[in-house]
Amino acid sequence: MDAREAAPDGANTGVRPEALVYLNPQGEIVHGNEAFAALTGHAPAALQGQALVQLVDPTDAEAVLPQLQRGLRGESLTCEVRLRTAAGSSERFALTMFPLHPTAEAGTGVLLRPVEATARAAAAVQEREKRLSIIFQTIADVIFVLQVEGPGQYRFQFVNQAFTRVTGLEAAQVVGNTVADVIPEPSLSLVLDHYQQALQTGQPVHWVETSDYPSGRVVGEVSVTPVLDAAGRYSQIVGVVHDVTERQQIEHALRDSSERFRYALKATTDALYDWDVAADTLFWGEGFEELFGHQLAQNPTPFSQWSAHVHPDDVARTVDDLRYTALHTTRTRWQQEYRFERADGRWATVFDRGYLLRDEAGRAVRMIGAMQDVSERKEAEQRQQQLAQELFQHNADLQQFTYLVSHNLRAPLANATGFAGLLDRLQPGSAEFGQTLQHLHTSLRRVDEILRDLNTILSVRGRALLTEPEPVPLAEVLREVTDLLAEDLASSGGEIRDELPAGLRVLGRKAYFHSIFYNLLSNAIKYRSAERALLVTVRAEPPAEGWVTIHVADNGAGFDASRARPDAFQLYQRLHAGVPGRGIGLFLVKAHTESMGGRVAVASNVGQGTTFTLQFRSPAA
Amino acid sequence: MTIYLIDDDSLGNYLTEALLRLENFASQICTYESAEDALAALLRAPTPPRVIFLDLNMPVMSGWDFLDALAPHRHRLLGQCQIYILTSSLALSDMEKARTYDLVSGLIHKPIDREEIRAIQAELTLENR
Repeated sequence: MDAREAAPDGANTGVRPEALVYLNPQGEIVHGNEAFAALTGHAPAALQGQALVQLVDPTDAEAVLPQLQRGLRGESLTCEVRLRTAAGSSERFALTMFPLHPTAEAGTGVLLRPVEATARAAAAVQEREKRLSIIFQTIADVIFVLQVEGPGQYRFQFVNQAFTRVTGLEAAQVVGNTVADVIPEPSLSLVLDHYQQALQTGQPVHWVETSDYPSGRVVGEVSVTPVLDAAGRYSQIVGVVHDVTERQQIEHALRDSSERFRYALKATTDALYDWDVAADTLFWGEGFEELFGHQLAQNPTPFSQWSAHVHPDDVARTVDDLRYTALHTTRTRWQQEYRFERADGRWATVFDRGYLLRDEAGRAVRMIGAMQDVSERKEAEQRQQQLAQELFQHNADLQQFTYLVSHNLRAPLANATGFAGLLDRLQPGSAEFGQTLQHLHTSLRRVDEILRDLNTILSVRGRALLTEPEPVPLAEVLREVTDLLAEDLASSGGEIRDELPAGLRVLGRKAYFHSIFYNLLSNAIKYRSAERALLVTVRAEPPAEGWVTIHVADNGAGFDASRARPDAFQLYQRLHAGVPGRGIGLFLVKAHTESMGGRVAVASNVGQGTTFTLQFRSPAA
Repeated sequence: MTIYLIDDDSLGNYLTEALLRLENFASQICTYESAEDALAALLRAPTPPRVIFLDLNMPVMSGWDFLDALAPHRHRLLGQCQIYILTSSLALSDMEKARTYDLVSGLIHKPIDREEIRAIQAELTLENR
């Protein structure tokens, strides 16, 4: 082997050697290498001195001859020609002719390549490119190739269809343009930095990028990889963009939605729970501890964490009903209002509503629900109801009051009218005339009395709201009243036994207590029993639950309480025949008591005596 | 002719009695300041009074209570005894209620006057025929 063969043969490199023949200036074969022999089947030695043209298939000779001659004259060219093989067949080869010396005096080198093989290789490459192209064009990710032209200068060489789909930019608008032309700020500065970094490090660079394109806002995970060229320079950048816009939107939506849910949970003051029916455990939301003050040692808790605190009177329609609904019906909703014990022992009114999850067989699996503390609302409702009732009562009282006043005012007025008319028909100066005149005066005095009563009553009703209650020493007031009644007591032979504790004080107005004791005690004297000496006992029970209870008990005539309609405290209600009375004393006792937030009741037995029981708020200790 | 005046107000009784006497209404006028006393007297008497003037608003036994107490003796009284409610009340409800008692012949507002007394007298005369 001579030196000229060494490189093309490339025996040491393992590369398949090209088929070569050398021609002298006359076009005769000087040498053919092994590869030539393998390709054509001709032994090189056998061909030595033979003109190459003689191997050309005769049908090709005329067309090819001029080219071969040009090649022999020193022109570099490639042409296709059919050559006869040793086997006698004719095969097509691509001949590349080149002079061994610029003047062609040294002869010509001819490189032979079988055309079929070349075409096959080309087809394979084409096929591969086609496949790659399909991949490039159909892949969902954006792929682009940039040519690096200098610092900060990058030109689009290739973009795939995904690029157009994602960005809304046609390949024709992009390829051939620089990055600065295509990518808007502020994204441009960002990507230039990243390209620069990739080129400097020679490593792929990844980032997430949000850009506004004609198609809308696009969020992508970008990765760029620098590509080395034959000269060892990074002349290209291959970029891949994975579009995560939709994923990010979903993630955001999910995050927003779960965030909303979390805040909704925080915002609700309800105690949310999740009852695992099979395990019979309750998992509580944070509201439970906050609402009722129970500290949960664990969560989930046994079912009894709830059921044990339901008010005993409500258990049947609450705990039992829930279990029945869950286990023996197919209902999916349950709700109930009941009392629930707080950690401090007070009762909360709870509105509880739950949804039962059932399996395909209809068995209750879980229940999700919420306990709502409606105590305040409930109390407000009750207060309102009470207020309405009080107002109704007040209104009824006022109607009754009006009726009574008009009736009782009219009675003496009717008498006065009658007596005045009678005077007309009597002889002045006669005894009857004098008597009638007397009665006329008396009747008019009665009218005046009633009007005074009216004034007293209205002043009690009106003034009650105006003054702050003060602690009133009851024993002291009782002593004052007893002193006032001393004369009446002495003449009737009665006794008032004061058993009130010396320091006892209740909230109210002193003048009212004065009136209460005065009316009760003067009534006791007025309606005493003829059969025994009067004894009135005034005593107090020890304060209990903020109330002071006082009893005023006498051993007088008593009355039949069933006859007193609607009750003994009604204005102008008179309980005793034969003893004069206006029927205002007990009315005032009640009015004064109630105006101080107290209450009064009476028990009486004819012939045995009467006991009044009064209750007042005791001042805070 | 015997009549009863039942009114806890002694002045009222005095006035009514004086007015009736001026009209020569009855030979015997019995006044009661307690309905219970009047009831006892009525049940004791061999014949009921021809007329009763009855006040409504009285302690212990009211006029209504008195009428209710007479219910068992209704047959003995109907046609024999005219009961007039004599009240200072102007309430319509009292008038309505009075109509439900067939023993009650009428309701008169105090004070009774001459015309009313004469009207009752005329009615009694008619009935006696």
